Amino acid sequence: MSRTGGSAMARSKDKSVKLPDAGGWQDAIAVPAAIAGAILTTAGFLMAFLWAAPVNGAAVNGFEMIGDTVVTHQQLISQKIFYFHMPAAIVSFFSLAMAAFYGIRFLMTHEQRFDTCSRALMEIALLFVIMTMITGDLWTRFEWGVWWTWEPRLTTYLILMLIVIAYFVLRNAVDEPEKRATFASVVSIIALVDVPICFMVTRMIPSSVHPVVLREGGMSFDMGVTVLVVLIGMLCLGHALYRLRFRSLRLRERLEALKEILDERPMDNPFSGGLPAAVSPVAVHEARETGPKTVLRPNGEPRPNKGKIRSEYPTCLLR
Amino acid sequence: MMQYARPKKPSTWQHFCILLRKDLRREFRTREMLTSMGLYALLVIIVFGAALALTARDIDIVSMGGGLIWVLIVFTSLLGLGRSFSYEKDQGCIEGVLLVPMDRSVIFLAKAVANMLFMLVVEVIAVPLFYFFFMTGSETSSTFLWIIAPLVLGTIGMAGIGTMLSTITMHTRAADVMLAVLFVPIIFPLLYACTTATTASILGSVAWMDYYVIPLVIAAGFDIIMLLVCWVLYDFVISS
Repeated sequence: MSRTGGSAMARSKDKSVKLPDAGGWQDAIAVPAAIAGAILTTAGFLMAFLWAAPVNGAAVNGFEMIGDTVVTHQQLISQKIFYFHMPAAIVSFFSLAMAAFYGIRFLMTHEQRFDTCSRALMEIALLFVIMTMITGDLWTRFEWGVWWTWEPRLTTYLILMLIVIAYFVLRNAVDEPEKRATFASVVSIIALVDVPICFMVTRMIPSSVHPVVLREGGMSFDMGVTVLVVLIGMLCLGHALYRLRFRSLRLRERLEALKEILDERPMDNPFSGGLPAAVSPVAVHEARETGPKTVLRPNGEPRPNKGKIRSEYPTCLLR
Repeated sequence: MMQYARPKKPSTWQHFCILLRKDLRREFRTREMLTSMGLYALLVIIVFGAALALTARDIDIVSMGGGLIWVLIVFTSLLGLGRSFSYEKDQGCIEGVLLVPMDRSVIFLAKAVANMLFMLVVEVIAVPLFYFFFMTGSETSSTFLWIIAPLVLGTIGMAGIGTMLSTITMHTRAADVMLAVLFVPIIFPLLYACTTATTASILGSVAWMDYYVIPLVIAAGFDIIMLLVCWVLYDFVISS
């Protein structure tokens, strides 16, 4: 079987696989997306408190009956948590789904690049999962009066968080990059299988106390708009963070590849003057800081740098 | 010219039988896994005895019994699953098995079935022991024997997922801890459903069927989904 080949880095000359890389339009919009995300989330925060009406338009002094339940003023304020809780949860589900998608892509192609994507997305997922847990716990405290309850959805979300943490523990416990990437991809796919179970549990177990907002009468217009603004803001933030993280991981990978070249091919190294790179720390430092300035042509003459690190070395080495 | 009859290529079923028989024969000769798992189960029961020593008269042990049985099973199977690949790796057996030209998912099936059989044997010993130590004094319902269904469903799922995860963790540092860190969260929905069904059948109140059937359906669905996912992904894990 071809997919069982050991040297994943070298194979796959198949150019039909388009590899994600740092740079390009996704990175170009990362910083605008971060700014837009910050503005939208702040706007959503202000809207939640200043514009969006309390649940079902109620204004409460003391206690009041809404539907069949007694609602207090404190609960109407703590309901504002919802505007950040649900978007964060959706973004965490979304990044988990994308991480599993890149996990599947990795298992199909054995390209290390997809594992880098999957890992960066998993880190974003962890961030948003923790945000959801914190806001959810505040909600639990003020709405239900306890810090923690073994309600099915809380429970399944907690174990989802544990799986995401276990993903990183597993990554740290495996040394070989190939094995690490395979195991991590498998765990990210299993984590994705857990997400629908998380989502369905409130609907399958009727005794659940977790509100199912969209089924129970839905949201009013102003609430819906506020949630949408925060959701778009958080998606922008998530995208920006993901691209920045992926970029930093990719640049580190390229740097490692460059260092390997400097170590392995001292005679070709224009900085070492024919000496092994190990005895020319200045050159290695310079390569780290600025990248190579000249490279030898096949006939031995130096070739001027085109200003791009990537074009100077065989791309397979830079992956 | 002599025509030698080519030996017939063994079928997938034969691969499966041979691999399973290999595990069973090894266990039959060494009795390593069953003794260690059985002893461990007894030790967990003793720890329960110490933990409940001061409260057992006041609380209703029957309503806690289902949960405690599953604590026992999870810890015991963690021990067994963690060891199920260690000897294969130590003695180079797994390399030999991987050299055979066959569908590698069969390795998963054979190993999972072997693990499931070991776990079932241990449960057959441990659950009556638990009953003997804790529940003979109290009244149990007539539906007590229905706990067999959640026990079997839970064991199938835990053996499948556990086999997959122990294959992953045998290549990691601190394999035992790693297995627990992955195993417990991933089987959690199954554990939850099986505990509910077990408790319902032990208590056996009027509406016990409501708390028995739905969790069993969830457990069965979880088993099917997870076993399929593990079966598909196992080839990648064992080949890497």
